[in-house]
Amino acid sequence: MTEMAATTPSTTPGRWNALRANLPTGWGAAATVALAWIALIVASGIHRADFLSHQTVLAVSFTMAIVGVLAVAQALIGMSGAILDLSQPTGLIMSAAVVAWLLERNVPIPLVVVAGILVGAAWGFANASIVVLAKLNPIIVTLATNFIGGAVMFLVYQNAQAPLKSSFSDFGRSYFLGLPNIWWPMLILILVVGYFLPRTRYGRHMIAVGGNRFAAQTRGVSLKKTRLAVFSIAGAIVGGAGVLFACSNGPFAPTAGATFQLPVIASVILAGCSLSGGRGNVWLILLSVGFLSTVPTSLVFFGLNSNWQAVFQGIILIVAVSIDGSRTKRTQR
Amino acid sequence: MSMDKSAPVVEPTGLDRHQLRDLLTGSVTSIGVALLLVVIIGLTWVGPNFLSTSNVTIMGSFVAIPMIVAAFAGFALLAGVVDLSIGSMLGFSSNICAALMAAGWPLAGAIPVALVACLICGAINATAIVIFGADTIAATLGMLVALRGMTYIISGPVGMIAAFDNDFYNLVNLTVGPLPLIFVFSLVVIGLAAFIVSRTRRGRHIQAVGGDDRAAARAGISVTRVRFVALMLSALGAGIGGILYVGQLGSASNYTGTGLEFQVYAAMMIGGYSILRGGIGNPIGAALGLLVVAGTSNIIDVRAISPYLTNIIVGLMLLAAVLLDRLRGGDAYE
Repeated sequence: MTEMAATTPSTTPGRWNALRANLPTGWGAAATVALAWIALIVASGIHRADFLSHQTVLAVSFTMAIVGVLAVAQALIGMSGAILDLSQPTGLIMSAAVVAWLLERNVPIPLVVVAGILVGAAWGFANASIVVLAKLNPIIVTLATNFIGGAVMFLVYQNAQAPLKSSFSDFGRSYFLGLPNIWWPMLILILVVGYFLPRTRYGRHMIAVGGNRFAAQTRGVSLKKTRLAVFSIAGAIVGGAGVLFACSNGPFAPTAGATFQLPVIASVILAGCSLSGGRGNVWLILLSVGFLSTVPTSLVFFGLNSNWQAVFQGIILIVAVSIDGSRTKRTQR
Repeated sequence: MSMDKSAPVVEPTGLDRHQLRDLLTGSVTSIGVALLLVVIIGLTWVGPNFLSTSNVTIMGSFVAIPMIVAAFAGFALLAGVVDLSIGSMLGFSSNICAALMAAGWPLAGAIPVALVACLICGAINATAIVIFGADTIAATLGMLVALRGMTYIISGPVGMIAAFDNDFYNLVNLTVGPLPLIFVFSLVVIGLAAFIVSRTRRGRHIQAVGGDDRAAARAGISVTRVRFVALMLSALGAGIGGILYVGQLGSASNYTGTGLEFQVYAAMMIGGYSILRGGIGNPIGAALGLLVVAGTSNIIDVRAISPYLTNIIVGLMLLAAVLLDRLRGGDAYE
């Protein structure tokens, strides 16, 4: 992690600054999120002792699974300097719908999973092709393709669902070591991506492109190839989230993915991944997703209905980006 | 062009060749041509009924409120800060207004409360973005979700508040010839915004800040203040739009304004604005962009084709518009 550390020049001498410079990247974000998470759990536990139960753990980890997988994809996009992929909801549901369609036709499950991931990758590649060929900003491209893709899906179907009585749906509704099955793929993904990103050549190229694209280019990193690769990989991850979504959810409409957009972006920013690229630690996503996924359950225990969830998530995002903004302002000076 | 040949010295007040070229290739012209195309397609495909009094009234009342919202949101885009929360803000304002009216408040009391609530939210947006340097899209996306949640809470378990004020309803739904009064009002608002942007010092300050904030700061313009005010204006426009919806519909629901930000910004980008780069765009272009979208969706409605086709066409037009903007010299993304 240390090689990714944005070297914060300590302008004023002192032990505090020396200490800060030696800490790994994102420690500030990690500490803030961890403290907030602990505070939330303690407060909810004091308010209602039955909050601290296995039931809560299940609810939280179930929410974490899909948000966490999507957050990894979003973090890759952000760290490579492509800012935001607003077409994630469409990619997610497109993959889930194809998975449901194939399962109804009795296609073997391993093939279905591969197909779901490939649909996501193809969606990412299509977005990247427009970005690279037309040289347009990814935010606007993905805003438009999300619009178009959602409408196209409505022309094809209104409501889809993976067959309930199948080992596929059983998997999505069962548990392993006391946690939902769909939670474990998310954990493995975060650990693997977080490990390999700073330790492999391709991972470092990606972060270099995000940090300073022109410097990376003069060192022989192809911007076009990197963009295509990052979007395709992120798309494949979104496709994987679609598979998890299909096996754990009831009937879903083409717009069902929209609710994930905000918690995903919020958790990426809370984890200290810069949207403008070059900085971030994927492992910390586990913390931020955990914190954000605890909020809805806590609110229920505080007697606030689910509408307050949106209010709190929105406020948390505003606070998080404000902290992120003042942090970048400080390092730029 | 022939004028140039006869007069070798270009008159300083007349159209020189560059101005003429800008006029012919500028965003307002291309969107004007697009609008003409929509009208021609409408007249050939739908028939002369496309421009009939009743259809024009329908389109006018459909597009009026988004146009007012766009006129105000345009200030924020021009200053280089996009406000994604306008759709939810509109729903928030209309639900506050309707809830107070339903509780027996007079209109003169409900309107200021709704507007002040929106201005407070606008100030929160502005504080996060301008003072703390938060990412504009992410911060206003947070506000979008928070205010949609508030809208659900205010509208209660039924999800709808009936707030019928006879005089208000009649005023908003009055027609002047074939045009709804509210549409005429929105044209006036667009005209005023266009005047402020292109003819006043403050308008040029906003453009300068959006175009190059460092240069603007060096020229002595307070970037912070301009952007703060621009975001407040954007919130105010959404607040006004929400109140007008209460008048138009006689009610407010938790769904009011959902997705409006995408409609409005897609239309504004088609009309020459950019949501990522300030300093470009004109309220008249925004109005034409909204008319193009309204005309397209009207054709699709009348011909009873799937309404989702509108989204596909708008999405494609949006991509075409940003591509055109880049070919015209906008920033290329690499």
